[in-house]
Amino acid sequence: MSGEPVVYFEDIQLGEQYTSPGRTVTEADIVIFAGLSGDYNVLHTDAEHMKASLFGARIAHGLLGLSIQQGLLDRVVPGQAVGPLAAVKWKFKGPIKIGDTIHVEARVAAKKEGERTDAGVITVERRVLNQRGEVVQEGETDHVVSRRPI
Amino acid sequence: MAGAPVERRLYFEDVRMNVPLETPAVTLTETHTALFGSLTLSRPTDPGAIPDLIPLCMSSGLGWRVPQPPLVVLAFMGFEWRFLKATRVGDTIRSVSKTVVKRSMKEGGVVIEERSILNQHGEVVQSGRLTLLVAKRPPA
Repeated sequence: MSGEPVVYFEDIQLGEQYTSPGRTVTEADIVIFAGLSGDYNVLHTDAEHMKASLFGARIAHGLLGLSIQQGLLDRVVPGQAVGPLAAVKWKFKGPIKIGDTIHVEARVAAKKEGERTDAGVITVERRVLNQRGEVVQEGETDHVVSRRPI
Repeated sequence: MAGAPVERRLYFEDVRMNVPLETPAVTLTETHTALFGSLTLSRPTDPGAIPDLIPLCMSSGLGWRVPQPPLVVLAFMGFEWRFLKATRVGDTIRSVSKTVVKRSMKEGGVVIEERSILNQHGEVVQSGRLTLLVAKRPPA
């Protein structure tokens, strides 16, 4: 967005922490995501089938949770500090059900200068927690961030 | 009703190792970006850019469009993924995958799938490995 300060690789501190706002995951989110992705697995779309399942109810697509947390964290990270994604390592630890409220806790875990002279790579550790404080997803993301022009 | 159709499904036992499976393709549009933006509350800065996570998300749906019954996935356990090339509105992506690991567990089995997403030029735009918990065939 124009008007936002540009954040360069040099401005991001190792160990910097971010906590996102919360967001309640709704049935509408799951229906829209099923339509967008084309993933109509019964886990996400068949309420009757899921009553008898391990989870007891429909659950959000894992990648929907991943997408929502990305949007949530973008709201609290200054400027463009978290640049384009280069890599993700991710674990789905527990279900996100309709009505659950999730938020993200994140920390800059590594800064690598790498081979490029115009950009570095930062690694952000992320945990997605529900309203009971249970970690439902966690992992790390690598981002390419521009270096301050000389 | 007698003779009702039985939905065919694939179970852990049916998964074959190292057999490449290619999906049909889908063209990425501004509508995909808008829907994704409404879910994630994200604000695209460049209207022609496709958010990085969209091709990954859409590849899971493309996997349902191959000419074989769906795999009974109990849970998506995790994945490792690399974003190699940005995609733009108008790009047409498809996915190619194969199973590289099968590990039987007490309840179901773990399947690791290697997946690449290609654009209309045949370039790999994203790729990685996904770990799924798959149901075993229920006893007859």
